[in-house]
Amino acid sequence: MKKIKLDITVNGVKHSLKVDPNLRLLDLLREELDLTGTKEGCGIGECGACTVILDGKAVNSCLILAGQCAGREIVTIEGLSDGEKLHPLQQAFLDHGAVQCGFCTPGMILSAAALLHANPAPTEDEIRVAISGNLCRCTGYTQIVEAVQAAAGKDKGDWWLQI
Amino acid sequence: MKNTDMKMHVRGRSLFIDDIPTPANLLHAVLFTSPVAKGTIKRLDVAAARKAKNVAAVFTHLDVPGKNQIGHIIEDQPFLAEDELMYIGQPIALVVAETRRAARAACKLIELEVEPGEPVFDPREAYRRGLIHGKKRIQVSGDTEQAFKECRHVIEGSTASGPQEHYYFETHRALALPVEDDTLKVIASSQSPGAYHHHIAEILDIPQHKIELEIRRMGGAFGGKESTAVWVVAPAFAARLLDRPVKLILDRNDDIATSGKRHAYVFDYKIGLDAEGHILAYEVDFYQQAGGCADISLPVLGRSFLHSTSAYNIPNVKITAVSCKTNVPPNNAFRGFGVPQAVFSMEAALFHAAEETGLDLEEIKFKNLLRDGDTLPYGMRLEQTDGVRCWETLDKRVDIKKKLEECEQFNREHDDRKRAAAVQPVCFGISFTQTTLNQAGCLVNIYLDGSVAVSTGAVEMGQGVYSKIALIAADALGIPNHRVRMEATNTTRVPNASPTSASTGADLNGMATQYACRELVERLKAFAITRFKHDNPRDISIQDGEVHLMSARTGYTWEELIRDAYSARVDLSCHAFYATPGVYLDPVKEKGRPYAYYAYGASLTEVEVDCLRGTYEILGIDIVHDVGKSLSPEIDRGQIEGGVIQGIGWATIEQIRYGDDGRMLTAVNSYKIPDLKFVPKRFNIHILENASNPYAVCNSKAVGEPPYIHGIGSYFAILRALRSVRKDKPAPSLPLTPEKVFMYLHG
Ligand code: FES
Ligand code: FES
Repeated sequence: MKKIKLDITVNGVKHSLKVDPNLRLLDLLREELDLTGTKEGCGIGECGACTVILDGKAVNSCLILAGQCAGREIVTIEGLSDGEKLHPLQQAFLDHGAVQCGFCTPGMILSAAALLHANPAPTEDEIRVAISGNLCRCTGYTQIVEAVQAAAGKDKGDWWLQI
Repeated sequence: MKNTDMKMHVRGRSLFIDDIPTPANLLHAVLFTSPVAKGTIKRLDVAAARKAKNVAAVFTHLDVPGKNQIGHIIEDQPFLAEDELMYIGQPIALVVAETRRAARAACKLIELEVEPGEPVFDPREAYRRGLIHGKKRIQVSGDTEQAFKECRHVIEGSTASGPQEHYYFETHRALALPVEDDTLKVIASSQSPGAYHHHIAEILDIPQHKIELEIRRMGGAFGGKESTAVWVVAPAFAARLLDRPVKLILDRNDDIATSGKRHAYVFDYKIGLDAEGHILAYEVDFYQQAGGCADISLPVLGRSFLHSTSAYNIPNVKITAVSCKTNVPPNNAFRGFGVPQAVFSMEAALFHAAEETGLDLEEIKFKNLLRDGDTLPYGMRLEQTDGVRCWETLDKRVDIKKKLEECEQFNREHDDRKRAAAVQPVCFGISFTQTTLNQAGCLVNIYLDGSVAVSTGAVEMGQGVYSKIALIAADALGIPNHRVRMEATNTTRVPNASPTSASTGADLNGMATQYACRELVERLKAFAITRFKHDNPRDISIQDGEVHLMSARTGYTWEELIRDAYSARVDLSCHAFYATPGVYLDPVKEKGRPYAYYAYGASLTEVEVDCLRGTYEILGIDIVHDVGKSLSPEIDRGQIEGGVIQGIGWATIEQIRYGDDGRMLTAVNSYKIPDLKFVPKRFNIHILENASNPYAVCNSKAVGEPPYIHGIGSYFAILRALRSVRKDKPAPSLPLTPEKVFMYLHG
């Protein structure tokens, strides 16, 4: 299979790569760029574990080809915090005990981040709808909703600029 | 205290098995599995697959150097099939290649000829043909025959509960790495370090000390990674034979299609009550859908057996239980381990009885709740029961009667929407029913700088057991939490570990940890008295990382103490062991004291059914739950919520279908687990106050499984709403999916 050229920005870093045309964005991130914070839960767009932010919007990286992302900007969980300083959502997930096994967590946080990016003060219903595509088998979701509510009130800080 | 992994999870920095940097020379393993539910292998030809591009090897049972067996309890489950095929998805050959894609492609080149047999899928039919695992179990207490004669009401019926997919987010997987001197390191997603370790050694015919099995964390397990070792054994086997690292990762759909589920059950019940609603007698037959091999089905059935009367006191009981050999993948452990099925059947009988007799269902339930001094059918006398207190606390918080009346009022005012509520009590026995497993080991190391590392046999799957054990260690040593780190669970540090299941992870391993830490503190105290020129070590204590003498601060820090103790040649490493005392079950008489204690609870679930569409909404759930003296309220709340939602999922929307040929028709896109829109907004959890428990570490109680039982209330709330519309049909089986609701109302 002939490789295609791909220029892509991930977490603020520009990459120029040659990739297989059928490479999923998920595999590009995990295998080529070693960004293993993005998880594969189902591989067919059902669970949301592979969520990343593409040009400001939450997407399932298992459903997108890397080639579709040419010239676009991606934020993964690794790019959400500012160095060692946690993003308010990450801190809120910690504070509210919204994490159990942690496998759904990166995707869940990124869906919430995309929501807060578009709507900094969402209602509870808006939060529920926005992250209802992200499944979690461990929690009962309430601590997750509480965490997003808590983060929604927080100072946005510089991290918004990255999305 | 946070789940110790949380900080890494929120940054995506925690390494699950597939996140570990790829070792050089890595190979990928894929299983070639049975296409038929029953049959005999006539011809298996792997020559073409072996020659395929990028294929390193194709193994069959002929290549297994040791015992080709992974049966968890009974040796009826070959690692790779020899001739008999018992279910679709049964492993036949193992293909190992440079890429997963190449391995998958090579599977297609394997030639297999099978003489088909006649599969059986219905558990009753299997029983009728004598196809059962183990023996039929019967337990009798009192005399049901006589008691039924004295009953005012006797009601008989049948019902059934369906299977449930675990849907752990991280599917089955393992990475095996050959190390020097013919040894092997296996990093696995497994709840059973001891058992899997043993299986790998037996299959390879090498001593266990040549294998190091490590489990750092799992992306969920819920029981599904307790017994079926094939997905861990397979890469270990290939890595050893090929002397290269091998990884096996099950695709989601393969995981759903070929791994075990919560057992489906069929029940026949007969219940007798007096005029006031006291339950005088109960008979129930359990037919368990076990699957082609016994796997862990018999212990699961055993727990159903012991929980057949749920939270109620019934003087005359007869229980019959059979594990039926049907041709589906062997079902296995799932949170609750047979208890939810038994509770469902009891509740179905009570619901039926209340309807037939006109007695008030909640009154029957409350009146018959287990109280101090009551004796369970297996002869265990109860003390310190908290079931009634949970119910009364719930009643105070929600006013059960008023809630039910409000629903009725709503129903009088609405034709197309109906509301109903149900109360679900919980009484869940804690301990492994198999007495041997009630043991745990722990190794605590204190390093020269005062930092502490704790290793136990408990595995972390998101339930927070590492955090709880770390808390117990810090508390017992008298040092701040951050000085304690949990090591990955590893067979070289703690051998022969029992599975982390039956909700006992923190109970057993926490207790062993406490023992080890206390022993270290004794050693340190004996040393410290020499420094203070004092003669009684009892006057020494360690608090907040500082030595205290006669309860007064000394300014002598933990770090100084450790450094000096090391210089004085005090042993700063300690292994300890805990075995739950006093638990046993006589397998012949079916009597004993199988559980150390019980966890209690009560909840009210309220639903609204859209009678035109058949859809429903869980309006709210109010829970009172007993966790003893909580080790970590935040972790316990998470466990309660997650457990309840999983229980609601089983009772309502999670449905699995097999085709007539035994093929799994359900895939990831057709299996729905509760999402955020499904969970109720009113989700109130109240932890029972002033609860204690002398039988577990720090007076706590296990919390992994018991809350699941609350979820069963959702089935009965929906059923009640349906019965307010029509009663001319039998109640549908569990799960009560929207499709079944629609068919019930309009079919
Ligand atoms: S892995 Fe992409 S949605 Fe599940
Ligand atoms: S925390 Fe385990 S799936 Fe969400």
